[in-house]
Amino acid sequence: MRVNALANPQVGKYLNEHFVSSFQKVGTFKIVNGQKQGGNVAAYFCAPDGRVLHVVAGPVDAATMLREAKWVVETTKKAIVESKGNGGKFKAIFRTAHAERLRTEHGLMVDAVTYDLSAAQDENSALTYNDPSGRPIAPKLPPPPINGPDVSLKEVQLRAAQAPGAATIHDKAGRPWQLGNQGRVHMLMAAYSMAKIETLYGAVFENILGERVSTKPVETNSPFPWVNRRSGG
Amino acid sequence: MCRFVLSVAVLPLLGLVLARAADKKETEATCGNNGTAVHFLDSPKEAAQQAKLEEKLVFVLHVSGLFEDPNLT
Repeated sequence: MRVNALANPQVGKYLNEHFVSSFQKVGTFKIVNGQKQGGNVAAYFCAPDGRVLHVVAGPVDAATMLREAKWVVETTKKAIVESKGNGGKFKAIFRTAHAERLRTEHGLMVDAVTYDLSAAQDENSALTYNDPSGRPIAPKLPPPPINGPDVSLKEVQLRAAQAPGAATIHDKAGRPWQLGNQGRVHMLMAAYSMAKIETLYGAVFENILGERVSTKPVETNSPFPWVNRRSGG
Repeated sequence: MCRFVLSVAVLPLLGLVLARAADKKETEATCGNNGTAVHFLDSPKEAAQQAKLEEKLVFVLHVSGLFEDPNLT
């Protein structure tokens, strides 16, 4: 993502203008027989209180990053005007916007969850797994069910099969559909947009990116350590 | 003898100054662009606080492993 997206001057200018940025480390990769296993990236666009509006899962090019950042800013402006200060409406507008993108860009329908049913995971429950630091690892949230169209979408499906992270998902009728990382992000966000980042990163890394998360996110000195090494630091 | 006492007294002080300079360099490395066009703050909490003040949104990057692999980055 660094070379293709975040190093791009236009992306940098837009992100610096509309966002305040930071980074965290989620788990680590292992070297097995000289081969790197694991290693990935997820970019979260959040409200100032840390609630997630949108996610870009996996490395993307500059054009994609800029498009997604602009979509977040424009959708936020629209949602602020339409919700008129009502937090519940704001959330519903954002989740519906994700469902709409899943329909228009990927040809699949999902009912946006415009209200939240259950309480968050009980951190003190005996059934809750806690990592060594004493905090539970983020739950792997179940994605909402999808509806496929009653016609086949050959071209859309061929394109989806070539998308980064393409995987087979099944609709309510059990029919298989191909969906890439960003399609599954919209599916997830149609149900969990405006959830806090600590409840979402497990689903993003494990369910969408297929990376095992072993620890909660931690602050790190630098996400790009080779930069200092190259400059002699 | 005097020179020896001076060096014994000055060296730890010099070490302290160098250590502080190194700390400063480390701090600068953790709050900056990190070789990108994006300005990063040290933590999401700090970013959230500044975002509220500036009426901006928050961008949080979660990284797993290193970005050295060009296929990944």
